[in-house]
Amino acid sequence: MFVTGRRTFLNTASAGPAAGVPNRARPGAKRLAILASRWTPGSPARQVADRFLIGYPREGRWRRPDMDVVSLYVDHTPEADQSRGRAAEFGFRIYPSVAETLRCGRDRLAVDGVLILAGQGADSSPRPSGSDLLEPMVRVFEEDRRAVPVYWDEPMGQAQARKMVEASRQLGFPVLAGSSLPMTWRLPPLDLPAGCRVEQALMVGIGSGRSDRYRALETLQAMVERRGGGETGVRSVQSVEGQAVWRAGSRGRWSRELLQAAVARSDSLQGQTLKDGRPRDLVNSGELPPLVEHPEACLVDYSDGVRAAVLMLNGAVGDFTFAARLLDVPEVASTHFLLPPEPNRAGSACLAARIEDLVQSGRSPIRPERAWIASGILDRWMESSKKKGVTLETPELRLEYRPPAESCFCGS
Amino acid sequence: MSNSQPSLISRRTVVAGIPAALLLAGCRPGTPERPKIAALVTEYRRRAHGQHIVDRFLGGYGWGGRFHRPPMDVVSLYVDQIRESDLSRDRARQYPSMKIYPTIAEALRRGGDSLAVDGVLLIGEHGSYPRNEKGQTLYPRYEFFRQIVEVFRASGRGVPVFNDKHLSWKWEWAEEMVETARELDFALMAGSSIPVAWRLPPLEIPSNAEVEEAMVIGAGGGADSYGFHGFESMQCMVERRRGGETGVAALQAVRGPRVWESLRAGSWDRGGWDPELFEACLCRSLALTSTREGFDHSYPSLEEIPGLVKDRVTDSGPQLDQPLAFRCEYADGMKATLLLLEGLTMGWTFAARLKNPQRLVSTHFYLPVRGLGGGAEANFFSPLVNGIEKMFLTGKATYPVERTLLTSGMTEAGVDSLWRGQHRVETPHLAVRYRPTPEPTYRRCS
Repeated sequence: MFVTGRRTFLNTASAGPAAGVPNRARPGAKRLAILASRWTPGSPARQVADRFLIGYPREGRWRRPDMDVVSLYVDHTPEADQSRGRAAEFGFRIYPSVAETLRCGRDRLAVDGVLILAGQGADSSPRPSGSDLLEPMVRVFEEDRRAVPVYWDEPMGQAQARKMVEASRQLGFPVLAGSSLPMTWRLPPLDLPAGCRVEQALMVGIGSGRSDRYRALETLQAMVERRGGGETGVRSVQSVEGQAVWRAGSRGRWSRELLQAAVARSDSLQGQTLKDGRPRDLVNSGELPPLVEHPEACLVDYSDGVRAAVLMLNGAVGDFTFAARLLDVPEVASTHFLLPPEPNRAGSACLAARIEDLVQSGRSPIRPERAWIASGILDRWMESSKKKGVTLETPELRLEYRPPAESCFCGS
Repeated sequence: MSNSQPSLISRRTVVAGIPAALLLAGCRPGTPERPKIAALVTEYRRRAHGQHIVDRFLGGYGWGGRFHRPPMDVVSLYVDQIRESDLSRDRARQYPSMKIYPTIAEALRRGGDSLAVDGVLLIGEHGSYPRNEKGQTLYPRYEFFRQIVEVFRASGRGVPVFNDKHLSWKWEWAEEMVETARELDFALMAGSSIPVAWRLPPLEIPSNAEVEEAMVIGAGGGADSYGFHGFESMQCMVERRRGGETGVAALQAVRGPRVWESLRAGSWDRGGWDPELFEACLCRSLALTSTREGFDHSYPSLEEIPGLVKDRVTDSGPQLDQPLAFRCEYADGMKATLLLLEGLTMGWTFAARLKNPQRLVSTHFYLPVRGLGGGAEANFFSPLVNGIEKMFLTGKATYPVERTLLTSGMTEAGVDSLWRGQHRVETPHLAVRYRPTPEPTYRRCS
């Protein structure tokens, strides 16, 4: 009966007023502004913002957050655009600028939270150029002498991430930055013990776009940032491609033992397994390298001596996995980051729950420096790749932070 | 008494007193060799249970962050049905230590005159077997089992047996299988891969909790095949409730429009179920069909649900018989509903209302099947195989076979209820009492 009641409410809500009608946020409900590159199938807006329009599953209930999307700025409206339809259906306004969106057309900041949804997501269309959504937002916060919690899916590079972290410190607003991958279910539900001593870490990823690499780096960072001494930053980054990836492994620059552990966590081996359905020991059998047509790796040297690598292994596996060797721990720690199937992509429901809590509580469960480091490594990875794999020093990533001890992923 | 039957020496007796660590490492004093396993399968073809399970014993699988090779050898294989797609000959060529035998007895004796293996895999799922008028596929698990036991008796000893899925489609036979294992004192383990799957989130009913009402929602298959998976999903959770398992007193299966009447009823007493359990199950799904066009994940209204649940109809008629609901009245008063709703969701979810204190718990049994994040290797077989390995090494069932005795009986009773016009059937024979293992047996860290 509860279900019926709530459905009735939602159905009524979805009848929607005519376009152009000012938002009709519920009294007392938190007001959200969305700054999106686009609102199309597969876009982060569709994966995340929609959950604040129609609800999402949370701990066994269909939760309708006590907050309303009241305004939207959208960069691009391609043919598949859904933003205008959403605005009409849910009664929020689309404004032509970030400032007007945050002020809802009036003269002062008029929202309680901002969602910046500018990553590529699962939308395979070319990434729009993407105007800077951050600076005009910060300007409004400064001018109006008030700042509100911000969720940001993926910074466009280190410089932008740094500005975000600095603004958040100066103006005192909490930032939750990151994709759903570090937040999704982990099989097993592993977080490295807070304060552990990491020797080496390795992340296996798939995909080819900037967002795929970013997600792999961000997830690596989410795992290793918990180590003892806290995060002290990154010393250097190197891109390795082609056969050099395997040679770097043979030289011990990344650990074959960790690759074996990470691949053993995969639930979707490629190659012969696709043909005969048999699990295979891809790493020890030597079958793995020939499966990966274009191996790519990012080698990361942290300031405290921890060595890490991200290996993008399209053709060998179909999922994101991680392994680490900890000092004085005989067993390698490893896990698999579940990418729940389309279209639900239930991992983004876990993310929505964290965003909702962020806006309600004014506190972020993770540190935005995670995104700063991840986007900074990504910038240097791309740069090193262009410079034929030269090792690049990363003084801009010598930042220190300590993440909260509490874990932040589905079911944690 | 020189002519008397040799006494049965159970594996349990053999391994008693040996530290578990030694057993798990495969280092059993007195039996320095790796255990020898006989695999008896109805079919060995791509995507058949026989293939997924035996291939893991032969070639290994990812487990605990490494590629695990079971410390035992499948040395003999019996295949009941060999068709064009058969892979058994191919596997025998690849693994010369595994020989194919023309009969079950020979596979167990391996050319000698007495039992010559340390464990038996009985995988009687898939293959072309007749269906009876009630819609049960007459897989020959009991028939295989009898032949196994004949060899055990003649050899004066028994070894652990794993039986994939139900024990038998017929209650009396299922019961006889369990009784025989008890009589001859060999370990018997059975069931579905769902009870040992990952749980998102990890959930076990606290052992002192009272369960008022429980629900499982699944999809796929028919009453016999997938009903069984659903009952196993239910049973592996509720068996931990206060007082232990005491069995099922009555069961009713309903299908078609009657299920939608139950959906609207609003409570168990009115012929339905607790709507919050239903909501919890759907909210634990990773593949809930979206009812709002242009949205990826929406919650369906009660009015929308009937339109989503569609049977797969082929030339030979409806294949799944869905929607299907099984209403189970347990002997201790607990109520439970199993729903099969193909089209609304994929995968298996569970929810229960606990009392003292009142609490609603729910989880998703995560099986990496294709379409749900899994690949061709069907890794949901890995925890199943790992549990079987443990039995072969320790001589003890990793979890109680009584669970699967009960679920085999529930499945048969459900099929029976459907066949009798969806009438409630009393099930006094299902007064199966058992206690689960104290420790969880589902996949948690490995």
